[in-house]
Amino acid sequence: MYAIISTNLFRRPARTVFTASGIAVGIAMIVALLSFTRGLQQTAAGFVHLGGSGLGVFQANVSEPTASLLPEALVGRLAARPEVARATPLLLVVEAVKGADAAIVFGAQPNGFFSQSLVVVSGHRPGSAQEILVGDRLAAQLRRRPGGQLVVHGRPYRIAGVYHSGILFEDSGAVLGLAAAQQLTGRTGEETDVVVQLAPRVRAGAAARAIENAFPGTQVISDPEQALRVGANGTLISKAILVIVVIALLLGALSVVNTMAMSIIERQSELGLLSTIGWAPSRVAALILGEGVAVSVLGACAGLLIGVIGGGLLVKALGVSAYVSPSITAWGLGRGLLVGVAIGVLGGIYPAWRVARMRPLRALSGT
Amino acid sequence: MSKPAGVEVLVEGVSKSFGRIAALRDVSLHVAPGEAVAVSGRSGSGKSTLMALIGGLEQPDRGRVLLDRLPLWTGRNPARARREVVGFVFQSHLLLPALTARANVEVALIGAGVHRGARRRRALELLEAVGLSDRAEHRPAELSGGERQRVAVARALANEPRLLLADEPTGALDSTTSERVLDLLFGLREQLGMTLLLVTYDHAVGVRADRSVTLIDGHIDSATESLVG
Repeated sequence: MYAIISTNLFRRPARTVFTASGIAVGIAMIVALLSFTRGLQQTAAGFVHLGGSGLGVFQANVSEPTASLLPEALVGRLAARPEVARATPLLLVVEAVKGADAAIVFGAQPNGFFSQSLVVVSGHRPGSAQEILVGDRLAAQLRRRPGGQLVVHGRPYRIAGVYHSGILFEDSGAVLGLAAAQQLTGRTGEETDVVVQLAPRVRAGAAARAIENAFPGTQVISDPEQALRVGANGTLISKAILVIVVIALLLGALSVVNTMAMSIIERQSELGLLSTIGWAPSRVAALILGEGVAVSVLGACAGLLIGVIGGGLLVKALGVSAYVSPSITAWGLGRGLLVGVAIGVLGGIYPAWRVARMRPLRALSGT
Repeated sequence: MSKPAGVEVLVEGVSKSFGRIAALRDVSLHVAPGEAVAVSGRSGSGKSTLMALIGGLEQPDRGRVLLDRLPLWTGRNPARARREVVGFVFQSHLLLPALTARANVEVALIGAGVHRGARRRRALELLEAVGLSDRAEHRPAELSGGERQRVAVARALANEPRLLLADEPTGALDSTTSERVLDLLFGLREQLGMTLLLVTYDHAVGVRADRSVTLIDGHIDSATESLVG
């Protein structure tokens, strides 16, 4: 049976290649987007644990975590909670660094645990509001050293030192004093979020629920998936994947239906012969279904390969390669392959059903 | 090869129409186990339709076909009967062009769920029986007309049928090749003891059968029914 399927596939190589190519494009998009989302999730993990925090408190119902605005007074009330060990406010300034659009500038209290957790690898901590600390990845990207200059929102700051934290977002950004950041952005008395270190033996989930109940209008992010869901981009990508999966399934299945329908018309007498020599209708149908699945799996395999390459190209095209690395997982590839098999099964059902209903004598005579 | 007993064929008052065209009208026929019967008649007389009904390729509009007293369609699944009891040889060899002679014979055994190794052995055995063991790995396009028809005979015998239906098996062959194919068919019938029904235009074929029947406009012409041989 397998030998007959493979022989039949390569009787019309051009048709098989074109059908498989159509499927490959759909699968490649799925795999690329899945690897991109996974990369984004890993990045989000760093976003959740800024400065070694256990969770972050944001304004509820915002399109992006960076669009959140909270009153500065919230920090003191949070710090007084029994489940909180320490709390420090952050003001996130995005798309502000000249030459590095993806970099985030963190406005942080110099004596807060966020600033204190940074390891200064060269230079020193800022001594005035005109000085800034730069993450080692950003420093390398812009070729900056202590004593140099970094322009934020059009305003030059002297680089006091270069730090390393081990968190991608932080190392790809810069840290300014909170007051200086508020003044720069015109948000005096406001912050984007409050990062919280939990008291010993307090679980993040329970603490998140307690804080959200105590402070209506806030949203607590304690895990990477939650961070992705909160951001409109993450939600959009997840929905885009779903839409692409559905479109790939439909277009791929239609293309397989078309190919297999043409094939059974051309091979009517052959299929009639198989019935004549005793193949059960279900077995002839399985042959056609098998051919549909085989061409789809061929396409899916090509799609997986293209998708792996495409994932890298996607982050470059979106200009986010500085902080998102596509992450390929076996499950991501497996999902692509599953979609390929599903396309073959969906597309093969109708031609298989037609073949199963074929009357052998008429099929033999080609009528 | 084992020697299966021939099947008894009973056609009882069978009629079959295709649209407005009546192909067979109230046809009855009895073929004893192991008998060789030639069915002749003009083009359109219903010969091939009769074969198709006996082989379970079509269902009669009226009447019934019994193989070993079991009615097709109601008492016996036709696809299963074709797999286990009946073998077909057609005027056109109907070999799958992309497969070798051996694989073409094996195809019939795939339908019966025979294991790969056993399939291969049986196919080679049958190709040897029809004198084509040296052509086993050739595709149909590389074989002569007579060789293709012999592969088709081997394929028809793959499932050890007890009834062989041959629809003008020599119709597309020259006289020498026809003789060889007929020798093969009648020789195998002698050897295996199966029942043989042959549709033919050729009077010489009828002479080699045990009995000959003629169809005229969908009826069996009782006047021409004769014992020969």
